[in-house]
Amino acid sequence: MPLWLLITRRIAVMVISLFFVALLTFLIVNVLPGDVATAILGDTATPDQVAALRGSLGLDQPVLLRFMKWFFDLLQGDFGTSLTFNRPVGPMIAGRLLNSATLALICMIVVIPVSILFGAIAAVKQGSLLDRAITGLTTFLFGMPEYVLALGAMLIFAIWLQWLPGAAMINPGESLFLHLDTLVLPVLVISLGGATYIIQMTRASMIDVLASPYVRTALLKGIPRWQVILKHALPNAMLPTLVEIGLSFGALLGGLVIIETIFNFAGIGQLMVMAVQSRDVPVLQACVLVIAAAYSLGSLLADIASMLLNPKLRN
Amino acid sequence: MIPQRHEIRQAGVENAVLAIENLSITYGKGSEAVHAVRGVTLSIAPGEAYGLIGESGSGKSTVAFSCMGHVAGGEIETGSIKLKGENLLRLSPAGWQSVRGNRVAMVYQDPMNALNPAFKLGAQVAEALIRHRNMTRKDALARAVELFRQVRLPDPENLAQRYPHQISGGQQQRVVIAMAIACEAELLIMDEPTTGLDITTEAHILDLIADLRKRLGMAILFISHNLRVVAQVCDRVGVLYAGQMVEEGPASEVLRRARHPYTMGLNNSLLPIDGAVKRLNPIPGSLPDLRNVPGGCIFAARCAYATPQCKDAVPAIQVVGSRHVSRCIFNEILPLAERAAETRKRFGPEESVPPQLSVVDLDFSYARPSLALPFLNRKEQSKALDRVTLAIRPGETLGIVGESGSGKSTLARCIAGLRAPTGGSVRMEGQRLEPLAGQRSRDARKRVQIVFQNPDSALNPMRTVGEIVSRPIGLYGNASGPEVAKRTAELLEMVNLSERYLTRFPRELSGGEKQRVNIARALAADPDIIICDEPTSALDISVQAAVLNTLIDLRAKRGVAYIFITHDLGVVRYIADRVAVMYSGSVLETGPVREVFANPGHAYTEMLLSAMPRGERHARHAPEEIVSRARPVQGQGCPFADRCLRYLGQECDAVTPPLRLGRNGHMVSCHIPLRT
Repeated sequence: MPLWLLITRRIAVMVISLFFVALLTFLIVNVLPGDVATAILGDTATPDQVAALRGSLGLDQPVLLRFMKWFFDLLQGDFGTSLTFNRPVGPMIAGRLLNSATLALICMIVVIPVSILFGAIAAVKQGSLLDRAITGLTTFLFGMPEYVLALGAMLIFAIWLQWLPGAAMINPGESLFLHLDTLVLPVLVISLGGATYIIQMTRASMIDVLASPYVRTALLKGIPRWQVILKHALPNAMLPTLVEIGLSFGALLGGLVIIETIFNFAGIGQLMVMAVQSRDVPVLQACVLVIAAAYSLGSLLADIASMLLNPKLRN
Repeated sequence: MIPQRHEIRQAGVENAVLAIENLSITYGKGSEAVHAVRGVTLSIAPGEAYGLIGESGSGKSTVAFSCMGHVAGGEIETGSIKLKGENLLRLSPAGWQSVRGNRVAMVYQDPMNALNPAFKLGAQVAEALIRHRNMTRKDALARAVELFRQVRLPDPENLAQRYPHQISGGQQQRVVIAMAIACEAELLIMDEPTTGLDITTEAHILDLIADLRKRLGMAILFISHNLRVVAQVCDRVGVLYAGQMVEEGPASEVLRRARHPYTMGLNNSLLPIDGAVKRLNPIPGSLPDLRNVPGGCIFAARCAYATPQCKDAVPAIQVVGSRHVSRCIFNEILPLAERAAETRKRFGPEESVPPQLSVVDLDFSYARPSLALPFLNRKEQSKALDRVTLAIRPGETLGIVGESGSGKSTLARCIAGLRAPTGGSVRMEGQRLEPLAGQRSRDARKRVQIVFQNPDSALNPMRTVGEIVSRPIGLYGNASGPEVAKRTAELLEMVNLSERYLTRFPRELSGGEKQRVNIARALAADPDIIICDEPTSALDISVQAAVLNTLIDLRAKRGVAYIFITHDLGVVRYIADRVAVMYSGSVLETGPVREVFANPGHAYTEMLLSAMPRGERHARHAPEEIVSRARPVQGQGCPFADRCLRYLGQECDAVTPPLRLGRNGHMVSCHIPLRT
């Protein structure tokens, strides 16, 4: 299949799935107890006040009608207006998306080479002390919830050692790069969490590939072992790992919810938590859509990369 | 230049290309150590082709890979491997790198997996040249194209730019051979190079090997389990049993005048080349446990000629002829000819008996998703079966032969109701059966059973043999209560397994035993017809002989009919009453076995028959290859038109061939009338 056709196909699938994601979030938010009106007015408001606010926000209309209206606005590039802040959603998420994407990208840049390297080394030295150390550590980290890691890191580096700031106070509109030190702890925690899975994947598929007849063929051609590992084994072993990396990019953006909240990082995850708390549907919708789009984009990139590595998929 | 035979005879160990001496290899440590190879000695003269034969577990591949310094997980305990006098076992890792692919090169059993799926074919061949001949990438690629031409690959320039999955299995093996001869190695090791290939492809590869030997004159170590293929290629053969060399001698002599009971057993397991229906004489018992090697003659426990004397000491090598040695102390009194084998009559009902099961105009198409946007897929059709019509009478054995991709397994699955045909019908005594087994009546399901090719995956690993065999008895209501246990034991006895097997799990059984359990399971339903889909293809020849004997006995006892699907013409000729030859989803020829084999009416059948190995030096010549004709369009003309040696022209491409009728139901689909 030619590359352009694959991309077209995948984008078509992506648009369709995003539509359903949006519809689903809309419906789910709607069945949650409480709504934006009670959230804004607080517990002391009378039912009349709530009803009046609901009317002025258009919440008395049927769900599907509201969804259609939101959807057609979206088609025209309008993400709607935040119910709690009364500001357009578009610009509101743009800045935060940039922050989160930067954070995620830095993490990927750290995670991918490091975890492929460690995974491959563990596989090549299978059964050695090094392999057991890598496997043991990744298993340990894999079982550790992110918030434990985050709090642990904060406790050690920000509170005891006082090397790094524990919270990322970035003023709206300020560049992230003015506060590089605030990025270190979030990147560390996210990378530790994300790397474990990729290390284990790389290790497992590398072990399979190293045992394959074509690696044996290459060795018995007289090619030095390190060259066989780099040229023959690694590209083939990367195939399943790539798909995983692509998917983990989306998971990364989605998983920022916890990390951003803990480190008080002005990203999309933090915004989403706020939107859920205040039942601010337009903001929540936008956040969910953006994260879902990141998932799709990640797996599309993974597919393109595996097509480049795997000739069987190319024609 | 191949040295003349007398030169080979004079060539001693001194100027041998390869000299293996007293080689012992062990896998594992301590009491669990498997002594896989013990004291193997052999030498190969310049230009000589030496065949190493033995069944699975004999250690032949271990010996082959030890010559490349690649004994994964094993340890070479004693011995030496000398290449032109230089002991390879003393080499450093860097030393091995300069030998591998350069002075010793290898051709592998499974070419598909031996080639790197992510590399262009030209680059894979060029790699060794860049490494060992210091060639530039450009020169090496040009040389690779030249090598592709030498191994007679079509359109070599274009092929060099393609990937392994884009070419056929036979072409893949040619690429592997090109890779092996790239640096003009002194020794070429071939590890089952034609196993798994179609019979005509095998013939082409063997021809190519003979041709390359003539031109390049390298020494060859040829590993195979197929005695006839070895005898066709090799000057001398060594027979390996349980890690020990038991016989060695000139190829034709070992095949015809074996002087060791194990070699005789292998020869007796071979299907007769003349199409006689003598009963096969397989080797009883199984391989000894090599963790605890028994003393004395390693084969004594399975040997019909063994006396207590045989267990006293490992027999010394005895000279039994010119360059012919055996490890049997009774070699002089072993009978010369094959042991008298009882003959059996060809079975099969009369022409006039109405068919029990018939297949009428059966079609099966695969839908290939085309490359369009989602939800807009137009399906492209690819036919695996094209108007197949066949009939089988009660108690008859119908053999279905064809190469891979001929649709024979799809046919089996459609008859068994595992796949729904896209057209036509399967009928039982004239009654149309539902397409899928689940829709068929219990009685219809009971009457047709199937035995699969791979005995491992067909058995549930979590169930005991007793549970596996007894389940169909209860399911089809053939017995109940204590009767079931009795029936199960009877069934096992019928396939020559004792009651001890009832409580065993599949993993505790050998390949042959597993296949017998599969047969017993099929029999448990008390069927009229058993479909056997390549039931012996994954088995060693001595095991195959035993399984075929079991099937023949059951037919005589129970009157069950078989639809026997195989790519092995020898098996069909041996077991079947009638045969159908399939190609590309169509039946090209069908008729009584004797008639079809003696007087083949279709050029394809002729081609298959001429490609059968006969066990004689240079006896086989692969059919002429035709590369100029375009592949026929499916559903138009004759599917074999592009490879046919009796091609008539336009007519064959455009017009569906008529059905020509011969004697006794012999039918051929061809534009050329049958010779009578």
